[in-house]
Amino acid sequence: MASASGNATSRSGLIVAAAVGSIFPLIGGYAAYTAYSNPAPAAAAPPTSLTGATADFAPNDPPGEWKSPARDYANTRYSPLRQVDRSNVARLKVAWTFSDGTLYGHEGPPLVVGDTMYVVSPYPNVAYALDLSKPGAPIKWTYDPKTSPIALGKACCDAVLRGWAYADGKLIYNLLDAHTIALDAETGKEVWRTKLADVEKGVTMTMAAFVAGDKVLVGNSGGEMGVSGWLAALDVATGKLLWRAYGIGPDTMTRIGPDFRPYYPWMRGKDLGVKTWPAGMWKTGAAATWGFVSYDPKTNLVFYGTSNPGPRVPDQRPGDNLWTSAVFARDADTGMAKWAYQYTPHDQWDYDGVNEHMLLNIPWKGVRRDVAVHFDRNGFAYTIDRNSGEVLVAAQYAYQNWADGIDLGTGRPIVRAAMEPKIGQKLQRVCPPDIGTKDWQPPAFSPRTGLVYTGIFNLCMDLTDHAVSYIPGTPYDGMEMVRYPASGDDWGGFIAWDPVHGRKLWQIPEKFMVMSGTLATAGDVVFYGTVDGWFRAVDAWTGKVLWSQKLSSGIVSQPISYTGPDGRQYVAVFAGVGGAAMVSADQPGFPARGGTLYVFSIDGASPGSGPGMMVTAAGAAASQSDETQKGRH
Amino acid sequence: MNHLARTIVTGAVCAVLGSGVTGWLVHTDGRARGRSLSLASLSALPPEGAPARVPLGDLAGAAKATMPGRLANPLESDPGAVVEGERLYKEMNCAGCHGYAAKGGMGPDLTDAHWRYGGTPVQIYKSIYEGRPKGMPAWGRALPQRSIWQLTRYIETLGGSFPTEAYHAGLQGDLADERGAGSSKSPAHGDSGEGAGGDK
Ligand code: HEC
Repeated sequence: MASASGNATSRSGLIVAAAVGSIFPLIGGYAAYTAYSNPAPAAAAPPTSLTGATADFAPNDPPGEWKSPARDYANTRYSPLRQVDRSNVARLKVAWTFSDGTLYGHEGPPLVVGDTMYVVSPYPNVAYALDLSKPGAPIKWTYDPKTSPIALGKACCDAVLRGWAYADGKLIYNLLDAHTIALDAETGKEVWRTKLADVEKGVTMTMAAFVAGDKVLVGNSGGEMGVSGWLAALDVATGKLLWRAYGIGPDTMTRIGPDFRPYYPWMRGKDLGVKTWPAGMWKTGAAATWGFVSYDPKTNLVFYGTSNPGPRVPDQRPGDNLWTSAVFARDADTGMAKWAYQYTPHDQWDYDGVNEHMLLNIPWKGVRRDVAVHFDRNGFAYTIDRNSGEVLVAAQYAYQNWADGIDLGTGRPIVRAAMEPKIGQKLQRVCPPDIGTKDWQPPAFSPRTGLVYTGIFNLCMDLTDHAVSYIPGTPYDGMEMVRYPASGDDWGGFIAWDPVHGRKLWQIPEKFMVMSGTLATAGDVVFYGTVDGWFRAVDAWTGKVLWSQKLSSGIVSQPISYTGPDGRQYVAVFAGVGGAAMVSADQPGFPARGGTLYVFSIDGASPGSGPGMMVTAAGAAASQSDETQKGRH
Repeated sequence: MNHLARTIVTGAVCAVLGSGVTGWLVHTDGRARGRSLSLASLSALPPEGAPARVPLGDLAGAAKATMPGRLANPLESDPGAVVEGERLYKEMNCAGCHGYAAKGGMGPDLTDAHWRYGGTPVQIYKSIYEGRPKGMPAWGRALPQRSIWQLTRYIETLGGSFPTEAYHAGLQGDLADERGAGSSKSPAHGDSGEGAGGDK
């Protein structure tokens, strides 16, 4: 452990049940968080990483910019900015705010390129360019893509969008109605629009488009609708479909060929995407792709997870149900699979495998290993050799009771038979529930501490499965659930994780779910938000909460940090509760929906606010959604 | 396994046939091994045209006395309708969108007194038959009218619906008080012109 750093001495005050690399069902609940009494020494000797983990920050964008949701290909969400640090973070105040006029769950981050901030709303997926160089950050342009309202009834978990990408002078994003569009970043004009699927069949798109080189990677949602899941590569310049790799079906569909070498033998063989299903059932077997994609430029591999199998009721689909609830490593140019690994074979609880894969490099038994770190919804955090697919570490990071661990010899979970649902029988207290110990909300990594930080859930469910038939355009689902906290009143928490040793260093308990992304900065502060609307900054070393600010709605978005044209460091985050957090909507104190971006700076300073009359030089009017009456003229 | 999938579909089909309707043709796609299901009607149950004449919202040049909005549920006194409706609610995957307890999910809550498209029986019937633009599929082609009236009966028992005669009161927002809403709970609500929920 990390006694190396002076900062680490105060870790003795931490709550962590010292559950190093093993199963630790904290049935009695997490111990109360003890705040640190001794502050970290200011400007101490250069810190020593607690784990030795590092990352490749390609494409190495300018430090003050933020051009993709995770900022880099590796998905670290690490900002090299350090004006805001542990000594002054408590002085953060609102510099300015912006409402995008929509109220569905705001899960996406803004992007900052040069002097412009770009924001895109959830359905109806309106895009804005904001001029950061002018007082009040006025609207440069706005674009409403007129997304089909039918999509509202097909999106399982709110009409969200998890972000977008800037590349080649374009903003590229998915519409809820299963199209991908590209806008000219200068003018806001649509450059191309590609239809990827038929929304009437239940296919929606909520994931953040991801750009690797000259390709943009997009996938579908609809794991609850009996869709066929896929990841597709489009040409950044034209939107032309280059390849599409399915998560189910014969090897031709899943783009599995002679180069496919999964580490574990049970995933080797011909057409397993068909053979691990009852005849024909793979066709409605989902394996959708709605999480984040990462990319290793060294090997040209992309990494992404697949969703739950359809129907969600396991009795109807005996078999492993490949390649659902799994990870694929694919060649970015051809889409051909290099390896895969199924986290939860025959997924019986809707755990999925969609969560992100953060690409780190770790010291492992004396040699460097290139790994992917993945917090699965199933309660285990995996550190996987990203070249071979070998699982190096699989350790529990939040409360679960469905498995006795992951057998590292076979790579398979050791499932508790008592936790397997049967049609028509109510199963009490299965933990976690469908949305997992952590859903899509992405973690962050600090190369300074060597730790990974993430928001988690602390939930269980009572589960009753019902038999279902496939009716196109309706849910192919069958899970009836009541969800509640696993222990005490805490629905969530925030943790620091050592991906090398598979251990939790500290945890901040939270009354509400933590379903926001995390931001780590070189100032050694880590930011996250809660579903009841607290935005917090914590000491990256100790987990001490240094600053909290209540916002107008719950935070389920992704905080970012950037440098303004004035040279100041800003931190930006949307408040707008929604998405899977709505499972806790009856909790006392649960906030109303919203759609406001908050931008913070030290003392709230910005060129756009302060004493005297500020004059905005606006370029365009806001978009009024179809639910908005413009009034009488 | 295939037989299980097939059983499930057979179950759904029986539910429809078991509703006592004759003259309905049930198609199942054999190749799809029970994955898909479609139903088509050979004959119409009266009153076929009546719900179609009920407007979705209010009526221009309102002549409320002539409004056909008071169309009652023809199965109002059929004791089996609620049970059948509940079965259909699960088997047609309504539960997948509106929740097993109908408390809402991808589709709105069907147990409360807030209705986007009206909460009287004929309005509920029309929502199911015609579908609604923000993702409510139309069931008028897949299900016989009788099944849709059964589903309507079931929804009427969930506590939020409005009595048949409250068509205008519902449109005018007089029934939004949850304590007062629901056909079983407040027989006093009607289109008397006095509205309801005066204690708000
Ligand atoms: C694919 C998801 C989906 C399925 C399946 C579905 N619904 Fe809906 N339903 C919706 C949505 C979304 C709306 C709201 C549509 C709108 O506002 O335009 C809705 C609206 C309704 C309404 C009108 C509610 C109001 O406030 O006026 C009723 C009644 C209804 N559904 C009943 C049913 C029944 C009965 C079934 C099964 C036969 C069913 N629904 C199946 C998604 C669904």
